[in-house]
Amino acid sequence: MKAVIDTLNFFLPIFYIVTFGFYFYDFMKSGKKFFNSKRLFLFLTLLIHFCYLIFRTVYFDHPPITNVFEIFTVLAFAVAFSYYILELLTDIRGTGPFIIIISIFFQLVSSVFITDVFQVKEVLRNHLLGIHVFSALVGYSAFAMSCVYGFLYLILYKQIKLNKFGLIFDRLPSLDVLERLSFISAIIGFILLTIAIFIGIIWLPKAFPKFSYVDPKLIGTFLVWFLYGLGIITKVSGKWQGKKVVLFSILGFVIAILSTIMSNFLALSFHSFY
Amino acid sequence: MNIIAISINHRTAPVEIREAVYLSNEEIKNLTQKIKDTLLSEGLVVTTCNRTEIYGIPANQSINHEEIQTALLNQKLVGGLKAEHFQYFSSANAIKHLFSVAAGIDSLLIGDNQIFKQVKDSFQTAEELNFSGFLMKRIFDSAVKAGRRAITETAISEGAVTVSYAAVQLIEKIFSHLNKKSALVIGAGETGEIAAKHLRERGIGNLTITNRTYERAEKLAENLSAKILPFANFKESLHEFDIVLSATSSNDLILTKDDVATAMKKRNYNSLVLMDIAIPRDIDPASKNIDYVFYNDIDSLNIIVQQNLAKRKEEIPKVEKIIEEELESFLSWLNSLEVAPTIKSLRDHFEAIRIEEFEKNKNRFSKEDQEKVEIITKKIINKILHTPTVELKKFSENVASSDEAAQKISILRELFGMNNKNEKEDEVEK
Repeated sequence: MKAVIDTLNFFLPIFYIVTFGFYFYDFMKSGKKFFNSKRLFLFLTLLIHFCYLIFRTVYFDHPPITNVFEIFTVLAFAVAFSYYILELLTDIRGTGPFIIIISIFFQLVSSVFITDVFQVKEVLRNHLLGIHVFSALVGYSAFAMSCVYGFLYLILYKQIKLNKFGLIFDRLPSLDVLERLSFISAIIGFILLTIAIFIGIIWLPKAFPKFSYVDPKLIGTFLVWFLYGLGIITKVSGKWQGKKVVLFSILGFVIAILSTIMSNFLALSFHSFY
Repeated sequence: MNIIAISINHRTAPVEIREAVYLSNEEIKNLTQKIKDTLLSEGLVVTTCNRTEIYGIPANQSINHEEIQTALLNQKLVGGLKAEHFQYFSSANAIKHLFSVAAGIDSLLIGDNQIFKQVKDSFQTAEELNFSGFLMKRIFDSAVKAGRRAITETAISEGAVTVSYAAVQLIEKIFSHLNKKSALVIGAGETGEIAAKHLRERGIGNLTITNRTYERAEKLAENLSAKILPFANFKESLHEFDIVLSATSSNDLILTKDDVATAMKKRNYNSLVLMDIAIPRDIDPASKNIDYVFYNDIDSLNIIVQQNLAKRKEEIPKVEKIIEEELESFLSWLNSLEVAPTIKSLRDHFEAIRIEEFEKNKNRFSKEDQEKVEIITKKIINKILHTPTVELKKFSENVASSDEAAQKISILRELFGMNNKNEKEDEVEK
């Protein structure tokens, strides 16, 4: 099984790059040649990636969440999987290259630096932790997508305002659609982050009797959760729309990234496991 | 193949001539009655604002382009019309030209969808007038196929190539569902009418017209099932609209930046699209500086039009390839029509000789041997005819030299006296 894991680890970035190639070609050449095959190839890549994650879990006897590079491969999967679901739901196939490139980055870094870890802290073998981490990662992936769609909205908005009718104008869906994609992604992210926080609150006192509610990781996560919640409420109530909402989504994602970096690498948090 | 065509189009004649030559349905009917059977055994008349063309199979070999042209000129007396305003086509070139017309690459507005429909209508008219025969029907099928393939397999008809349609394309880049949006069209003139029609075709939710002359607005609103807003106080309701399309002949601004800013405040800064397709402009261009206001005038819409036209031009080689394929397929079918009877005649000719000689000499053989002789002679004939039959079939497939194939078939028929034989048979029948 080890040989299979190593082979898949080597080929996964290549699969993502090829998938990106299909999506990128269609984006540049008006989206007809690989209209259906690109989706099929993304599905195959996700299937292979899913098998890879299962093999790792079985072979190393713990979910692949024990170090940054294991987390990265899960993130790559989560981003691509979230995009795949969104594409199936909306049938908007023109934005793939902007999302899949994120998966390429995470998977490439993971494939290069990932190591074989057999011995992990007992706390990392807990099933509740597995669900907590997976829901948080898929949630953050959805926030990443919301941010990307937000950026695309801003670019298209600017281009239309400046009467620049180039490739972006031709290929991207309408501003309405981009705003909706960004908003749906934010809602999915918010729901999953809520689940992650809820499980965390149940599981925390059992796993860490000495934890503190003023821990930087907890404060950062609550701040992100609050910001997205506020953005969603103002959008639903009709007070904000368009540029304001997508800017809020971008801001939320930037704070999410900063919070993760600060709590995992800079500050001393109970949440640093490696 | 004996098909001829004459054409007056945007490349050969100025617009006044093209307009003057344009034939109404009644005129097509009259012209068809005059040329049918006397000049053309079957044919087709295509007439649009940009072209008038007549295609047909000459009733006899002496009929040429000039006679068709004269028939048209007798029908339409047009001053200033000269010989150089006509373009002539024969054989495969005539078919190819018709395919190019149907596929939209010969149009003034490249990729124009309208012409495809007009060609189909022309064929229908020809059919109703019994002017369309066996060959023209097949040409029609091939032309329609070429036109349809051009539309579906290439981007020759994609993108807006008129200012009013470009305005709608741009609106659809901002709003995804026009059925949930409200539009106000200011001005009920020709431009306003076209733009309003486009919006209605794209399924706009609510359409409202306002115009200085109320009656004109009323008439347009009735045609498009739209509401009417009195021109004097339309600004008070400006905030209710997501799209404002202005096309009046006013010399002064109709909407100032302040009007737009006030409306934006009232609509809580929900996106507003302003399309100013009037010359001089109706809406203050400074309105575009307001957040969520998407302002476009003729110049900016023309950028889209020019870009789309350039993209359509890039598609022409792909359409030409489709036309070549369809032409090849049509000529292959046409050649097979000529080859099949020739093969049959050739075989009949040799079989007749064999039977004649066999009947003359069969008494020289015993009854048992007669059967053997018959089998052997049949085999000899088959072997002799095998290569010519294969070669004839190749002629029908080798469409690049359709005329050459026809020439070879003619020589073959002459060499074996098959033409004379047919003529004799015809005389006997008479």
